[in-house]
Amino acid sequence: MLKLLGAMLILLAFTLFGFYQAHQFARRPKQIAELIRSIQRLETEITYGFTPLPQALLKVAEACPPPVGALFRNAAEALAKDGCRSVQQIWQEAIHNQWQHTSMKKGEQDIIRQLGFTLGLSDSTDQVKHLRLAIQQLQGEMDGAQEDRKRYESMWRSLGLLMGALLVILMY
Amino acid sequence: MNVDVNAIFQIAGIGIIIAMIHTVLKQMGKEDMAHWVTVIGFVVVLFMVVNLLDSLFKEIKTIFLFQ
Repeated sequence: MLKLLGAMLILLAFTLFGFYQAHQFARRPKQIAELIRSIQRLETEITYGFTPLPQALLKVAEACPPPVGALFRNAAEALAKDGCRSVQQIWQEAIHNQWQHTSMKKGEQDIIRQLGFTLGLSDSTDQVKHLRLAIQQLQGEMDGAQEDRKRYESMWRSLGLLMGALLVILMY
Repeated sequence: MNVDVNAIFQIAGIGIIIAMIHTVLKQMGKEDMAHWVTVIGFVVVLFMVVNLLDSLFKEIKTIFLFQ
């Protein structure tokens, strides 16, 4: 009886792990799309609104759902709290704090990090150029993420269950 | 005798599951992984079979060479 219960638990755990992995793959393109939209919004704030960076980041964060929006909110709050650090430092720190809550990978992180080196440093036309470049690179990443999703989402869904079943049979 | 039947079912189950994992991995274009999974499954089954054979030979020894 206890053996059966343990087998059920192992099976359940592996199935849930497989579903979690599939979920990660499904969420990645969505979050990249949200990131692109946020950066476009930031661009609008900079060019047409002439909003200072902390307020602009806060406005972007309000328009964006949690995992991606938290990144901008974190940066905006840190920026408003103490003015002695540079935007670049604060941006890197925000990425460091918030990235683990998202499903995105190293490629997007590098692009966003790169954006942090130029954010708030120059005039608005130059800023817009850098933002556009980041958007373009993110589009490329999103295509790759879509491809990965198509390939690996269903694979992980069945693979989790199968691995669980294999382990249960091996130990039974 | 009871143990023997269980072991056969276990090996059959491993075979079926490994075949399914192989198919899934191959469909998603991870052929190298699929082959590794098959090899590892084969090795595991081989160990079980070796254990069974060991007990078989011991049995034969006790039957024919008991003097």
